Amino acid sequence: MNGNRISLQNVNLHYSSVGFRDRSLKALLSRAFHPRANRVEVHDVHALKDINVEIRAGERIGLLGHNGAGKTTFLKMLAGLYPISSGRRVVEGKIRSLFDLSLGFEPDASGRENILYRGLLLGLTPKYMRAMESEIVAFADLGEFIDYPIKTYSAGMQVRLAFAISTAVGGDVLLLDEVIGVGDEDFMKKAKRRILSLIDRSEILVLATHDVASLTSLCDRALLFHHGSLIFDGTVKAAIDAYRATQTAAMS
Amino acid sequence: MPDGYASAVWNARYFWLHLTLADLRSRWRGSFFGILWTLIQPVGTTLLLSLVFSKIFHTPIREYAPYILSGMVVWDFAIASSTAGSLSFVQADAYIRQCKQPLAIYTLRTVLTNLVVLSLASMGLIVWVLVAMPEMFGWSWLAALAIFPLLLLIGWPLATVLAYFATRFRDLPYALALVFQAMWFVSPIYFKVETFRSGGLNALVDYNPIYHLLQIVRAPLLQGAWPTWENYAWSLGLAVALSLIAVIVGSRVEKTMIFYL
Repeated sequence: MNGNRISLQNVNLHYSSVGFRDRSLKALLSRAFHPRANRVEVHDVHALKDINVEIRAGERIGLLGHNGAGKTTFLKMLAGLYPISSGRRVVEGKIRSLFDLSLGFEPDASGRENILYRGLLLGLTPKYMRAMESEIVAFADLGEFIDYPIKTYSAGMQVRLAFAISTAVGGDVLLLDEVIGVGDEDFMKKAKRRILSLIDRSEILVLATHDVASLTSLCDRALLFHHGSLIFDGTVKAAIDAYRATQTAAMS
Repeated sequence: MPDGYASAVWNARYFWLHLTLADLRSRWRGSFFGILWTLIQPVGTTLLLSLVFSKIFHTPIREYAPYILSGMVVWDFAIASSTAGSLSFVQADAYIRQCKQPLAIYTLRTVLTNLVVLSLASMGLIVWVLVAMPEMFGWSWLAALAIFPLLLLIGWPLATVLAYFATRFRDLPYALALVFQAMWFVSPIYFKVETFRSGGLNALVDYNPIYHLLQIVRAPLLQGAWPTWENYAWSLGLAVALSLIAVIVGSRVEKTMIFYL
């Protein structure tokens, strides 16, 4: 048994309100001089509230919840991108995450060069990336465009390339955020197969999705979030029922 | 720098090295003239300035031009590293949102790019001095090489501190331009040291790290002399002070930067 695991104890996460207020030196000064000016008070957002979860190797976790319930924040917190404001977060194992796929290209560099850069961002070596290059090029299937600068790509082409690179290497802990719907129909089928093989090779999967069908087929345990709190932790079927219950409760 | 952070920067070395190369390539992409611009631009400006200044200050242009050029290439590095450096996190936001890497690698990228530009621009200076003042050539020139590691050790923490603040306060680059303009006026960058001394402004020379930093290049290249230990001490002192500030600020705000992007 290997030691891959996720352990969260009383984890809280706040988005600092400064991040979405007027952020300039000018605003800072005017606040200092007009402390009681008429403004809309913006508060810190309490995005995750007292989360306690233990995930062991081999588990397949699905995240459920309405938009803004905290699923993506939860994933990004697991990935170490968002700092927690209190509690304890332990993630053991090589994390591989797929969010915001179309972001992070050098627009002036060619597709081929960007394969290298993106791989290096993920912590891989140039040697390894050169070995992977032809496979990634074949999967993205962009034809001659692979040697054109990224700025000539359409949004769909960028996503295809990003997807091909990001899914070329697996990890122990796989974090997925609604990535299954990328590209056109043919590419979707290919993409789905590739994701499935990535999931097979991972030790822990955490998947955020609204698609109940893929949740049922891929996951064996589900976490239900509601306004930043974890309100249900159990089997997928029971979680879906609880999710539907919150939906009808919200409607009535 | 905390151990874990330093090793994370080292582990990401392929990434920031390739980003630096990508920056340089896109700067020079397209034409051979691209790379030449880095040389032509400071030399051209210097010619223009020294024509005017040598008349005002009654200095022979042969000596004054390399003085201005040496000040210009180093000052251009300082300005580029701070203004472009302060935007490094904002520019790299797509990477920062996707993958956890130490943020200092993005300022390192900017500073390294500028350091390569500086080393190319300084070729113009070396050629000028070799042609116009060949008597200055000697072993002391080796001492001038210290400018590259010193500028890296000063520019990197400076850019990193500024980037922390500029990500939080988006109008910082404007304020920065003003500060640098002021520093330019009170430092012997284009104006000669003697001008300051004859005006009784010795403190602006002796206690100015910019003067000492420039002396590391100017003493060997323009005077054929070795830089003094004070020159090195002031420059290193500046590097240490800025690094301390960067570590202190970074340990407080690095993790929250993602909220401001």
